[in-house]
This record gives sequence, C-alpha cells and structure tokens, in this order.
Amino acid sequence: MNIALVCSAGMSTSMLVKKMREAAETRGMDATIDAYPESQLKSSLDELDVVLIGPQVRFLEKNIRALVEPKGIKVDIIDSMAYGMIQGDKVLEQAIQLKNA
Amino acid sequence: MNKFIEIAGRIGAQRHLVAIRDGFVAAMPLIIIGAFAVLFQNFPPIGKFDFVGILNNIFGEGNWQVTTGTIWNGTFAILGMLIAFTIAYNLAKSYEVDGLSAGLIATASYIMLVPATPTDWGLQMAWLGTQGLFVAIILALVLTELFRLLVNSKFTIKMPEGVPEGVVKSFKSLLPATVILLGVGIFQAVWAALIDISVFEMIFKIIQEPLQALGNTLPAALLIAFLNHILWFFGLHGTNILGGVIEPIYLPLIEENIAAFKAGMSAVDVPNIVTKPFLDSFVFMGGSGTTIALLIAIFIVIQREKNHPYRQVAKLGAPASFFNINEPVIFGLPIVLNPVMLIPFVLVPVTLTVISYFALWLGIVPRTVAFVPWTTPPILSGYLVTGGSIRGILLQLVNLFVAIVIYIPFVMAGVRALRQKTEGQS
Repeated sequence: MNIALVCSAGMSTSMLVKKMREAAETRGMDATIDAYPESQLKSSLDELDVVLIGPQVRFLEKNIRALVEPKGIKVDIIDSMAYGMIQGDKVLEQAIQLKNA
Repeated sequence: MNKFIEIAGRIGAQRHLVAIRDGFVAAMPLIIIGAFAVLFQNFPPIGKFDFVGILNNIFGEGNWQVTTGTIWNGTFAILGMLIAFTIAYNLAKSYEVDGLSAGLIATASYIMLVPATPTDWGLQMAWLGTQGLFVAIILALVLTELFRLLVNSKFTIKMPEGVPEGVVKSFKSLLPATVILLGVGIFQAVWAALIDISVFEMIFKIIQEPLQALGNTLPAALLIAFLNHILWFFGLHGTNILGGVIEPIYLPLIEENIAAFKAGMSAVDVPNIVTKPFLDSFVFMGGSGTTIALLIAIFIVIQREKNHPYRQVAKLGAPASFFNINEPVIFGLPIVLNPVMLIPFVLVPVTLTVISYFALWLGIVPRTVAFVPWTTPPILSGYLVTGGSIRGILLQLVNLFVAIVIYIPFVMAGVRALRQKTEGQS
C-alpha cells in the first residue's frame, strides 16, 4: 500500500517514515511510505491509499481532505503521542486501519 | 481555546498567505547561496588561516570577489523579482491554473514598473531586490487573481478539437496575459503622468519602511517569539502559520545588514538587530522553545532512572534537536497542552530574546550579517551569522545556560506530577 505523510517541510516526518518502513519490513508488508511538505503533496497523489497529516499542521486537514478524498484516498491526523515518540509501528497500524475502515 | 485553534488554522491554511510563504520557501536556496557568497568574501581569519588573504594572494584582490559579488547580484539582490514569480506561481497552482504563465506575467509586470536609470537604459538594481518586496507581493497576488478570473471566463481563445495540448495551453493564457500587461502598462503611464515618484518608491515609503522599522524593535521580536510559542503549545506549527507575515518584513532587514557588510561595514555597525537569523540562532536553539536546553535539563535532573519517560523522549529527540527539529520533544514529552511546561516554554524564548537584543544593541556581540539555513546546529550558527565571531558562540552559550536554569525547576515539577499520577493509578 502507498502511504504519504505530510508536514511543514517534510523533515520531522521523515524520521517517522524511516521507522514506519522498518515496521513494514518486519511485518513482511509491501508498503511505499514517503514524507512530503504540504506544498508538494498535490503533485504526488498518484496511486496513494492513505494520507497521514502531522499533528503540527492539522489545520491543513480540511484543504487536504478536499484535495484527496475525491480520489478515494483516506485521510487522518497522526496520533500525536505516537508521532512524538516516533512509533513507526503504531502509525503504520493507524494507516492500515484507516485503509480498511 | 477551540476558537483560537480554529483562527490559527484558518490563517495557516489561508490561500494567499500560503502562496506568499511557499514563494519565499522556493527562493530560500538562492537567498542562502547569495548570503554565503558575501560571507566568504568577508570571512575573518581563523588563527593563522586567513581565507580571504590567501585568495587575495593567489588571484589578486578584487578579482576573485567578482565571483561572489555576481552570485550575490543574481540571488539575494534580485529577491523582489524572484518572489514576484514564485508567489504568482504558487497562487496559480493553488487554483489549478497555469502557474508558469501566472509567474511570467507577474515578473513581466514587475519589470514594467521598475524605475529605469536616468541615462543609460538600465534597471535600478535597488528596486529589483528586497526594497521591491511589497510591490512584488501585491503584483503577484492581484495579477494572479485577475489571471485566474480571465482564464476561467470565456475570455480566452478557443482551439478546435485535435490541436495539441501545448498549443491550446499557450493560446489559452495569451489573451488574459495581453489584457493584464496592457492594464499594467496603462497604469504605469497614468501614474507617471500624475505622480512624481515611482510606484516602487511610494509603496516602499508608505508600507514597507514603516513595517520594517516596527519589525526591528524589541517589542516586535517579543511578540513573534510569544505568538510562535503559544501556537506550538497548542500543537500548531507556529513558524509555518506566521511565515507568510514574517518573511516579507524580516528578509529586507537581514538583506540590509548583509549588503552593508558586503560594502565593508563591520558586523557591529550594521543597521538592524532583529532579523530571522537573530531569532533562529540565538533564541530557537534546538527548535522553538530552545528545547535543546530542555533536553540538557532533563539529563541533569534525571540521572538515575534511565528508563524515565522524560529521559526516553530526550534521548529520542536529541539527534534531531542538533538540527533544530523538535517535534518529538514537543509531542512526545509532551509540551503540547502540558500546563507545567507552558511557562518555561514561553518564558525561555522571551527571556533569551531580551538578552540577545541587548547584547547586540550594546555592541557586545556583532549583529547578524549572514543567512544560514534554520537547520544549522547551534554554536556553528552563532559563529556564522555574526560573520565569523566567537562572541556569537559565547552569546549562544550564555543563552543556553540561562535556558537550562529556567527549565530545571519545571522538569522537577513535571517529574513529581508524573510520579503522583502513576502512584494514584496503581
């Protein structure tokens, strides 16, 4: 599955991406996970399943929903504690739940 | 409180402010390269290693400086023109209309209004730079709105079926572009006939200059530090939300400093105290809240319990903190909506802003004459932004010490509160 993480500059979220990729690997899951600054999300929408928004830019939720939901992409805000503790597995689980919801 | 978050969110997602902010973000690499070129040109000797002297000996003084000087001229020195393009481009993109066309129209209009040199058919460089920033922003926003309306109206040239898309696209913006440029041309003619000074001078004098004068004061710096941290306390990206308002005011201030430094003025004498590098390197060390000091305070207070949750967060957040990224600390500790941490999280940056302001105002520490990426680690950043001065590092160390001292009692209180909570549960 394809997961995009959105934050302000794509920097803080990239740490989480690394952990999520590791978590996906231990699960033997085939997942593409990338972090984008909000301004670049628009040009990276192809074949995405889930967009997860960093809690510090959660005010973008409405705009992002309007942008991606018509394409059938699911959107949620990353659980802020899991985000802070960089718990890749927990956030990956959140993404899977969201996709299957 | 929900109201506050909602308003902040609306500002953070406001289309035009986002376009302005992203316009500056796009130009940031050029700004940094230009600033570094000037820094190289004026770098002080480190012990016996005199970089500038060595280059002067090899190439002759004034020769190699052509390289760095022209880099400056093509980057930071023409920021106004660059910004006209990038803001228009981003705004058009947000409306999903042709960004390239919008950017080109804004740039063309900008040049149309720039005052020419009196005798030799040149453009006055001063107005291509940060002095023209507000004209650039106004043009980019207004003309792109106009462009969008025209493109989406029936006022375009329709092509028959089967014409290649590239051709259709170029013709689609042709008529709107013509109308807009004609409008700007007539505006310029009427303005020149009625008013003695140029549009650029007028806007600079009545909008930009007063705002900059205001921006370069201690209260303005305190207000920014305060707002930024209140936003972060609610878990919102303060710098991101305020960026569209702060950049246009503070970039010209650092540009004035760098330009004066380039012309040979000492870093102590350059005009402006409050700049973005000032806040980034002296106050936001380790990120907003000077959280690198918080991490050190945690390691000092909690030494025995290696598995204490605070210590774990501190360890997890430390590597990113060197590069001033602190989301793990802010959301993991958490600082967000944590009443114990609110006071130091706001008090520390406000205190450091005051200390730094007076250190620069009194001339104890040189002012900022370089623009480094905000991810530059503390100590290195203090050295670079002051044009290579040890005093810049000393101020950072003093600030860190003050910040750690303020954080320690609150870390202790936090540890106590956490213990009571877990004991209450068991």
